[in-house]
Amino acid sequence: MDYELTKRVLAEFERQGVAYVVFGAVAVNLQGLARATEDLDVFVAPTRENVERLKSALRAVFADPHIDEISADDLLGEYPAVQYIPPQAGFHIDILTRLGDAFRYEDLESEKVDLGGVSVTVATPATLYRMKKGTIRLKDRADAEALRRRFRLPEE
Amino acid sequence: MGVRKFRDVSEMEDTLWRVPGDPELLRAIASTWAFADRILPRNFPPGVYRHRSIEEAKNLREQWGDADFKAFRERRRKTG
Repeated sequence: MDYELTKRVLAEFERQGVAYVVFGAVAVNLQGLARATEDLDVFVAPTRENVERLKSALRAVFADPHIDEISADDLLGEYPAVQYIPPQAGFHIDILTRLGDAFRYEDLESEKVDLGGVSVTVATPATLYRMKKGTIRLKDRADAEALRRRFRLPEE
Repeated sequence: MGVRKFRDVSEMEDTLWRVPGDPELLRAIASTWAFADRILPRNFPPGVYRHRSIEEAKNLREQWGDADFKAFRERRRKTG
């Protein structure tokens, strides 16, 4: 995972007015626990205009014709999860408009967190806990437990 | 730093947390990610992949992870 590249992507999201929320491991990092990860997970508001802003922001960072393949029809329809892998980046960006029946963009509580001079939108610890606690991966469950202890969240 | 004592291993992990936005946290994130990239560089096939569910996306990610790990072991085998 490339710290500077991640920062550039999120700075561009902010600059271009993308409605997004960082969740997953990068969000856990930004909430205070540095740990390795290989993807940037973002929930985006499910509108055509927002998906176009997202694509424009990605194009500003990566000169990559593959970005044209990210489609609002997919994200708003049958394919609510799209992985974008930039050339030679060594990480992927997971773009979601919904997560099963449990989470939609509108359901996520978020807050602004400083990322070296860029104010980025990140899921709150309580939201991260709810998203991670029911998953199968041990790493996610460990994150959930660490979040619960750190932020004194009630056990759910 | 002096000796620190803990009643439980889980208390040790709690000391790893830093304050959001703190420059010390951001330096820790940058160095942790850079270290992970050095010890196991990831090789994902560039492009756009669409999935009906997050599980589908995770399955594909695991396939890439397995391929990377096999390549890593192969490199280790060749270099001894």
